[in-house]
Amino acid sequence: MRIDHTHKGWLIASLATFGVSALVYEVNRGAATTGASMGGTRLGLGFGVIGFAFMIFAGLLGARKKVPVWRVGRAQTWMRGHLWLGLLSLPILLLHSGFRYGHGLTAVVMTLLIIVVASGIFGAALQHYMPRVMTREVTMETIYEEIGHVRAQLLEEAEELIAKATAVPEKAAAAGAGDPPAASTATVAVLDGASPLRNFFDKELKPFLEKPGARGSALGDAAQARSAFVQLRTLVPPALHGAVDDLENICEEERQLTLQSRLHLWLHGWLLLHIPVSLALLLLGAMHAFMALRY
Amino acid sequence: MIFEELKDIARQPDGTPVAAEDLLQLPVFKEASPQFLKKNPNATIWRHFKRGEIVCREGEFGSTAFYILEGTASVQLASPLAHVKAQGGPSGFFGRLTSKLTSRLAARQDDRREEEADRRSIPIDAPVDLAYDHPVAELGPGELFGEMTCMNYYPRSATVRAETDCTMLELLRNVLDVLQKSKTFRAQLDETYRRRALDSHLRNVPIFRGLTQEFIDHLRDRVELLRYAPGQTICKQGDASDSFYLVRLGFVKVSEDYPGGELVLAYLSRGDYFGEIGLLGGGGRTASCTALDHVELVRISAEDFRAMVQQFPEVRAGLEKIAAERQEANRERLRMVRSVPLERFLSQGLMEAQSLLVLDLEKCTRCDACVTACADSHDGITRLVREGLRFENFLVATSCRQCRDPLCMVGCPVGAIRRRNSLEVIIEDWCVGCSLCAKNCPYGNINVHSFTALADDHEHPGQKKAVVQKKATTCDLCTEQAEPSCVYACPHDAAHRVEPRDFFAGTLGQRVGRSERL
Repeated sequence: MRIDHTHKGWLIASLATFGVSALVYEVNRGAATTGASMGGTRLGLGFGVIGFAFMIFAGLLGARKKVPVWRVGRAQTWMRGHLWLGLLSLPILLLHSGFRYGHGLTAVVMTLLIIVVASGIFGAALQHYMPRVMTREVTMETIYEEIGHVRAQLLEEAEELIAKATAVPEKAAAAGAGDPPAASTATVAVLDGASPLRNFFDKELKPFLEKPGARGSALGDAAQARSAFVQLRTLVPPALHGAVDDLENICEEERQLTLQSRLHLWLHGWLLLHIPVSLALLLLGAMHAFMALRY
Repeated sequence: MIFEELKDIARQPDGTPVAAEDLLQLPVFKEASPQFLKKNPNATIWRHFKRGEIVCREGEFGSTAFYILEGTASVQLASPLAHVKAQGGPSGFFGRLTSKLTSRLAARQDDRREEEADRRSIPIDAPVDLAYDHPVAELGPGELFGEMTCMNYYPRSATVRAETDCTMLELLRNVLDVLQKSKTFRAQLDETYRRRALDSHLRNVPIFRGLTQEFIDHLRDRVELLRYAPGQTICKQGDASDSFYLVRLGFVKVSEDYPGGELVLAYLSRGDYFGEIGLLGGGGRTASCTALDHVELVRISAEDFRAMVQQFPEVRAGLEKIAAERQEANRERLRMVRSVPLERFLSQGLMEAQSLLVLDLEKCTRCDACVTACADSHDGITRLVREGLRFENFLVATSCRQCRDPLCMVGCPVGAIRRRNSLEVIIEDWCVGCSLCAKNCPYGNINVHSFTALADDHEHPGQKKAVVQKKATTCDLCTEQAEPSCVYACPHDAAHRVEPRDFFAGTLGQRVGRSERL
């Protein structure tokens, strides 16, 4: 979600909550912690309950997304709550712990909390910037799930172009078999002209389209690809320049798809860490609360 | 057999081409060129149908018309008369909370929609209309059906079944074209129309319901039946108003000229009318009307029109109301055109839309929550695809744009697609699922979905059988909900339903302002 001026209210409310909490902590710190850890005091417990409630609310975003049509508040409101309350839970729980890391389960919970908040901030930053990068850089964007299909189409299109470009001289060659020597010479010349295109396709373009992410392909780099196509144009007759242009466009589209896949991974890949760690945090946080209250 | 002369030769087997000599014995072919008929030996064939046999089915594409020589046939809509209704979940707090929509087929009596067309009849490609309450009619010797399919390649509008053993001629377009030029043939068809259909056709226009039988009888012989070829101008903007027209067949494009081009105001189909604004206002034509395909019109002269509005004040009041509404809509359209000088915006057709689903690509994380929400709202079938035209950083997602020039409505063989005053495109109960609207929509925003429904079982009269019925569906803007599900479910504030003119003009205006300040 883009963090813009529409978050002003949440920012002010979060800062105010943090400020008031810090003030209350600072004022009561001495009296509250006499002979006991901060978490075990009434004030510490209060911070713990608030912090855990914030964590639970933040965790409920996942559940909210599972039921997109439920009219339980707009999804973007839930997202804003997730971002700000999730972020706020760290300082509140630090106040709860009295800025101590603790031992055993407490330390594990604290570690998980830091990982979750840090990965969340990282993810929020990515989702703030990456959509703009993707919009700017990937002008031929397609639906992510369709990328495999589009790639197959591009390869098919390229094969058709090559077949068409090389078929004309072959036909001419066939027709020219019984023709006078002059015609045969012309046909052979055209055939010779098409062969660099066929070679380029077989050795460079086809492997690139089949395995676009593979290292070492010059076509994966825009500048190198441009010079490769410039060179190819010098090797083929002008009649085939149109086909070369089309192949260059296919190559460009393929690079865009590769970039889209990479950006998509950045946009959503961090969730592979954030979500499971968040679930573990909620579970262990609940265990920590139960054990602390029970014993 | 209406043509006794053919009694012997009509014994030719089903599917046999009709010899030119035999055709020339028919009075309706008397004016046809023998040479033409000889050069096109397979363009007319004999068709024999046993009682109960299906001649053609609704929704099927075809390219021929049928001329009945002997026997009677019933023309009917076999599809259940029902529209696709999106319903909320169970009532009560939790029911409202879940707000899951379920699509089902609902008839007009079960679900009376706001601004439901007050049509009592269903226009079909035959000389008769079908009554909504009982969509069955009979066709007999001397009647032609399938004209629109043959001339314009539209899908069949109804199912025709032989009620008795029938003999028909199945005609290709080139032969029908020749027949259309034959005075004898036209006179016969026109006579059939005046006798059988004019009455119901006039009465099917809601504002004409008050006309007395006496007045309709008076009009019966006075109206003129006109035909127009595709692209032919019917009347031009600024011409003197001398007639009122009722569309009998085909589609009429109504457009206005303005600096920079032509603006389409409406497409009129069978049962629609035009020409009243000029006649009521006493001025010239306010718009140009052009035949979009093979069009047939009923022309009522200015003199008869004036007599009608004088004699029936309620007809006058109804026409004046409609004329005022049309004029206001036209004014609004022109205002819009003048205030949106955005070339790209226009070139992408976005100006056509009344309501767009736009995704701000600088906010969208491509999580597809909007698509999931749309599918969840509509029985798992999404009506939204996150792909479409880009305008600046906005993606105009593939979802019904409620176009101002609704091309999807052109060609519907039964006039089943229209829009409410709320701009939402709705599909009438008598949609036959032919998918022509889906093909016509330039933005791919109409889908055809299958439903299981009960229909009359003709093999076992009185019984019903389960059939798979196709119905067109389009984005309904989740009108059952306060906000479309796609927008409601977007967690990134990226999806918006917008009125394009305000939205794009505002967004662009702000950017221009910013860049000027810089």
